[in-house]
Amino acid sequence: MGDTVLTARKRGLGGEAKLAYALLFPAVLLMVIFMVYPIIYVFILSLFKTDKLARIKDFAGFSIYASLLSSKDTWVVIGRSLIWTFTAVAAKTLFGVIIALVLNVKYMGRKIARLLFIIPWASSIPISVMLWRWVLHNEFGLLNHTLKITGLMQNPPVWLGQSSTAFLSCLWVDVWIGIPFMALVFLAAMQAVPQTLYEAAEIDGASKAAQFRYVTLPGIAAILLIATLLSSLWTFNDFNTIYILTNGGPAGSTNILITYVYQNSFEWLKWQKASALSVFTFIILSTVSVIYSRVYFRREEM
Amino acid sequence: MKKILIVVTLIVILSVMSLPLFANGQKDGGAEKSKVTFWLADYEGIDHDFVGKIADAFEAAYPQYSMDLVIVDWNAMHDKLTTALAAGTPPDASVIGTRWLLEFMDLDAVVEPAKYVSQATFDNIAPGAMEAKVNGTLMGIPFAAGSRFMAINTSLTDKVPQTMEELEKYAIEATKNGKYGLIMPGGKHTELTDFVYYFYAAGGDFFDKDGKCIVNSAAGVKALDFMLKLANEDKVVQDGYLSQDRKQAQPIFFGGKAAYVMIGAWADTEYNKMNADWKIKYAQIPPFAGNKPAPLIVTDSIALYKDGKNLEGIGKFIDFLYKDEWKAPLDKQMGFPPVTISASKRPEFQTPMYAAMAEANLNAKGWPLVTGWAEASSIIIDATQKAYLGQMSAKEALDWAAAEVDKARAE
Repeated sequence: MGDTVLTARKRGLGGEAKLAYALLFPAVLLMVIFMVYPIIYVFILSLFKTDKLARIKDFAGFSIYASLLSSKDTWVVIGRSLIWTFTAVAAKTLFGVIIALVLNVKYMGRKIARLLFIIPWASSIPISVMLWRWVLHNEFGLLNHTLKITGLMQNPPVWLGQSSTAFLSCLWVDVWIGIPFMALVFLAAMQAVPQTLYEAAEIDGASKAAQFRYVTLPGIAAILLIATLLSSLWTFNDFNTIYILTNGGPAGSTNILITYVYQNSFEWLKWQKASALSVFTFIILSTVSVIYSRVYFRREEM
Repeated sequence: MKKILIVVTLIVILSVMSLPLFANGQKDGGAEKSKVTFWLADYEGIDHDFVGKIADAFEAAYPQYSMDLVIVDWNAMHDKLTTALAAGTPPDASVIGTRWLLEFMDLDAVVEPAKYVSQATFDNIAPGAMEAKVNGTLMGIPFAAGSRFMAINTSLTDKVPQTMEELEKYAIEATKNGKYGLIMPGGKHTELTDFVYYFYAAGGDFFDKDGKCIVNSAAGVKALDFMLKLANEDKVVQDGYLSQDRKQAQPIFFGGKAAYVMIGAWADTEYNKMNADWKIKYAQIPPFAGNKPAPLIVTDSIALYKDGKNLEGIGKFIDFLYKDEWKAPLDKQMGFPPVTISASKRPEFQTPMYAAMAEANLNAKGWPLVTGWAEASSIIIDATQKAYLGQMSAKEALDWAAAEVDKARAE
């Protein structure tokens, strides 16, 4: 084995390796053009004053970072983004696992149930959010109408009009859209758990809860990690839901980092500030990704 | 090596095949067509099919052009334009709020329309509509101009308030049996029109002659305090006003559930759409007692972009669009009184709503023409919302807004 590697090294790149690099080249090139270059450019942009068309003017150093870090607004928005992400991902994971468990049980109509659960995710997100905006409308909305006619609430809240309910409404819509993906992924993972393990557990007298704790959960753990990582990244950057439902309002109370970046860049043309905020986003998401990767690969090695 | 050659050859073939995607021209039956791009704002009432017909008719009249007539949501127009301008790929022309013009000129993004649009078209535009003149040069072609006014549901009240104080009184009287006295959108919208009706009625100005923000003047505080009273004490405005922009709030009026609404040129179109069993009446937005009437006038223009790919073609399109055959029905759908002299004489523009707008024009006041208005407007909306939510008093909120606006404009 050692000799083979040595021989390959001596000969330089083998034909297979060359082919692999050639096949990878277009993808790497596209990634450099569309991912690496923009990331570097955004960082550079944050160090310079710009005109309103984002053309670089004077070097400003790290002054914008100092200004942002000393601003209460920045911390409020970052804090809200973290609460938003953590709460939404936790809810999506919890509901996703429960629904996957339900869909994994054999019963009549299971296929139809699976189809129905995937619909919210298969629909266009902006259209789903727009529909929810009307559902939550105080005057014409289905939700308040239902609450009133069923007598559950005579004076239901103005969902998108108060800071707390607006944030919760946005959160709910994001969770509603995200659950099917999580459920589907968990369902696929659960189906990959060998049936024999459940049979062995049953013979050992394990309850259903114990089977879930000691068979299902370890069996889907790797997928759980990946799915929650993906969901964290998507949720942290979920622009559609908040922009369409509340546009960050009322009084900025539903702004998260991604909507704040949009506001500063495309609405107010403050490219330097928007770039610095994007760098914050990049750092936060990279940190989360690195932690997840370490946990994931450590598990793989074990 | 052979495999690498195959991969490289495939990449080259794919690249060559994709080249036509990036070409501006397109071939039709062998003839090269050049593309003309125009972004039209999605005004309430606009008939998208009719807009499609305009594009088809233009292509039939000028076979050398293919017309890309894109309807863009008003709320997204400013952001889409700035993004496109930053990327160097703006449309050839678009509708803009005239208040954005200084900002776009500051970016050196627009060109003088007279270089591409015929003199005959300009000669047919009412001189009073030429608001977009900067240092004597017309930089935006008037597209729509209309003052705001008040619409009244006569099945709920027939009283026409002469002052804001009277409006409050009549709105309280009309608020009963699940009906609202007044529609007041409080959600975040492109502009802060719903504050400015009261602000101008109190004699307010956003900036002093030195450019300092004075929205926290006595007039500003009076206006916002009055709005808070209407909403929170008198409770005459629709429930959930804070979550609704005008597109969500005004259907409540047209659904027959409110007595008064301050509105614009689309009122007739929206009213007719509803087939309502009640009659609508138009009146002026009243001033506060002791003030002069000062309704808001909103003007929109067409800007031609320096980086546009087909300025000759867009000039031809604008000449075509401004013919009565196309512009007059479009004006009618949008509800705006025509900016063209010939169309304004047509019988369909001699209705009570147009009469109310013509009367409002006499005292109307426009948006401030300043740079950084988009952010200033957003800050002031946030301030009004903070006051609605009870986080700050009207005075505190507007003091905060004035300081933030000055800070933002100084950056």
